[in-house]
Amino acid sequence: MEQWLNQVFITQEVYVALAVLFFTSVLFLLFRLFRRTKSNTIVLAGLSGSGKTVLFYQDGSSHQGTVTSMDPNEGSFVLHSETSKKGKIKPVHVVDVPGHSRLRPKLDEFLSQAAGLVFVVDALDFLPNCRAAAEYLYDILTKASVVNKRIPVLILCNKTDKVTAHSKDFIRKQLEKEIDKLRTSRNAVSEADISNEFTLGVSGQSFMFSHCVNKVTVGESSGMTGEISQVEQFIREHVKS
Amino acid sequence: MLEQLLIFTRGGLILWTCKELGNALKGSPIDALIRSCLLEEHSGDYYFNYDAAGASYTLKWTFHNDLGLIFVAIYQRILHLLYVDDLLFMVKREFSELYHPKRTYYEDFGDIFRQLQKEAEARAEEMRKSKQQTKPVESLTKKEGQSANKKKGVLLAGKEKVSSKDNASEGNHINGHKLENRNSNGHELGTKTTHADVKKSVPESEAFDVNKLQTLRFKVGKKTETVSKAPKVEQTKKTTKKNRVWDDSPSESKLDFTDPMDGKGTEAVVMADQGESMMDREEIVSSDSEIDNNEDESGKPDNKKRGWFSSMFQSIVGKTVLEKSDLEPALKALKDRLMTKNVAEEIAGKLCESVAASLEGKKLGSFTRISLTVQAAMEEALLRILTPKRSVDILREVHAAKEQGKPYVVVFVGVNGVGKSTNLAKVAYWLLQHNISVMMAACDTFRSGAVEQLRTHACRLQIPIFEKGYEKDPAVVAKEAIQEASRNHSDVVLVDTAGRMQDNEPLMRALSKLINLNNPDLVLFVGEALVGNDAVDQLSKFNQKLADLSTSSSATLIDGILLTKFDTIDDKVGAALSMVYISGAPVMFVGCGQSYTDLKKLNVKSIVKTLLK
Repeated sequence: MEQWLNQVFITQEVYVALAVLFFTSVLFLLFRLFRRTKSNTIVLAGLSGSGKTVLFYQDGSSHQGTVTSMDPNEGSFVLHSETSKKGKIKPVHVVDVPGHSRLRPKLDEFLSQAAGLVFVVDALDFLPNCRAAAEYLYDILTKASVVNKRIPVLILCNKTDKVTAHSKDFIRKQLEKEIDKLRTSRNAVSEADISNEFTLGVSGQSFMFSHCVNKVTVGESSGMTGEISQVEQFIREHVKS
Repeated sequence: MLEQLLIFTRGGLILWTCKELGNALKGSPIDALIRSCLLEEHSGDYYFNYDAAGASYTLKWTFHNDLGLIFVAIYQRILHLLYVDDLLFMVKREFSELYHPKRTYYEDFGDIFRQLQKEAEARAEEMRKSKQQTKPVESLTKKEGQSANKKKGVLLAGKEKVSSKDNASEGNHINGHKLENRNSNGHELGTKTTHADVKKSVPESEAFDVNKLQTLRFKVGKKTETVSKAPKVEQTKKTTKKNRVWDDSPSESKLDFTDPMDGKGTEAVVMADQGESMMDREEIVSSDSEIDNNEDESGKPDNKKRGWFSSMFQSIVGKTVLEKSDLEPALKALKDRLMTKNVAEEIAGKLCESVAASLEGKKLGSFTRISLTVQAAMEEALLRILTPKRSVDILREVHAAKEQGKPYVVVFVGVNGVGKSTNLAKVAYWLLQHNISVMMAACDTFRSGAVEQLRTHACRLQIPIFEKGYEKDPAVVAKEAIQEASRNHSDVVLVDTAGRMQDNEPLMRALSKLINLNNPDLVLFVGEALVGNDAVDQLSKFNQKLADLSTSSSATLIDGILLTKFDTIDDKVGAALSMVYISGAPVMFVGCGQSYTDLKKLNVKSIVKTLLK
């Protein structure tokens, strides 16, 4: 008789334990699901040689230079300006995607979880690469994932510590002109020709970045001297902490 | 002496450079290495040569795939340093122990490196000394091989003297080049000494050479024949043939359906709008299905059974480090699969080596089999090769040239019979559909009927054609065509050239003259999808000749590939891969039929899927 009672007790406890486990796991999963929608990833993209990897390694440690990246760099950092803030600081997950044209498909993998995109442009050597930069930017701005999720884009003019670097307004105007030309040449064709899923801007008017569905801003920075305040500001705005 | 030794991550951060070898490197050899070698899947090669103004370097490298590190050693090409491979291996081993992902500062490695370098140099010295001692013994056996080569050279040279008249030197040069490639000794075949005593068995390669020689001789002979025949035909009057009547049935009506056309061809049928070119039609890509694993398992059941249990166990545990011997069977299976899809054998081999180099030493993730890892790596590599390096947006470039006020010049080159003229017309049709004014230039002044063919196309498409008939210098015709185009404000000039074999020296010289004189914006190599291993030879020789015979410092190489006769191959699409790999140029158009609308873009994902099916 007592043995039987013991057994019942044990089985009851086991049931209770199982139920508790089940509930906690369900809650945990739900939590994770809800947390995922607020991503904290910032993607660094741009042409090869524009300075993305240097910007990525801005967490203070000195390094000896960079070469063309073959793989993306991923890491979580706490921003400089906030190391002095008290309380819990959420690190930002930054991804540096290689700019070489053969590695372009890698960008798509990270765009799905991006909260913001920083398009790095070489302000020093801008004019020879203007067309290629504009094409890349056009491709990014017409991707479905960017348009649907309205990912904000910061066009960052890097290497501004050099004397002969162009100003950000000049770069913005040049990019707008080039994208305008791309718009006409790519819209004269049916959309299936180049794999752009959306068209940019308002037809009839010359293209401006304010026409984009997602927010596009322009900023300046210098990777080598560590002048990245505008980047940090952008990150702060768009990554919830 | 080493110029420099670098250690950097795959993400691009330089971890360590040798401080003592402080000479600044001229140019940027590391970036050139990454862009033109490692990212082009040539990582299986042994070395990379880099030429900059004032210096020529050789670079050697090794990977540490598990940690994602790359070790590169640079030295002057004139020095043949033997200890570099050894040194790289030792450096890799030592550095992997020091490495930590978060650390970016490795100053203490300098001492270790100096020590390793001394050791490696000492070992190389030892090896060299021991080699010198064994050299007299070796030279005897080497001499046998040398005489065998000379014997071959004599045999071929003899046969040649009998045949062609003025191409003796050219043929010799070609055969010498071929044999050089086959033998690693690389002895010169210039001397014509007779070594009648050594009678080695004739290797297979010689029979092959003779065949090629005969076809070459035949081609050369034929060319001189047809050139001399052309004027003769016009002089003699041909008696017309009478239809043979077999029985008493009434004679049938005329079976000739050709349109009566006068000389100008103005009464030819005007090409009505045939509809949208397939370039503009969206290709419906089937959704990505799972990679077919069933083929793997049904393939070799007996072999797999033994290894299956251990591999399953290992896959669950997931800690094995990939060794080359593990990768061998999977890579061999992949190589065979690629070759059944008509990828050139050399290319498939190189690709497999490159994938092996990138996977060696990597830790196998849990729940994955080796074959799956290899397949994923190969898929990524194929995707990388086939993704274009430069923009394939021709329309944008045409618009840019239009703004500058010059016509955009496209030259179609290729071997005989690949479909240059047909696809030229297709490209013209596509451009016309986008409101771009096109002009054709008939620079095939050799083949009978080439100019008429283009004239017919021009009439049907209603575009101007610039022609000067036959027997004219194509380079001059092209130049005048471009001037004419800028006069009548055509946006694009499509230049058709005669087909030529890649071995034919005078014709290749004529081609480079055309390209040097006119500086085209786009040199399109037209290749057929049916070609097999010859694709490698064609493209590499074309590129080489264009580079060698170019007058300017930066040679205009082949900028793009036009793949034709794509409808004749079902899923043996490997020729696209061979051509792109060997030349680095992207496939801009794909011809898939004989009417004007049969021109497509290359769909990279579907090609990769078909290749790996």
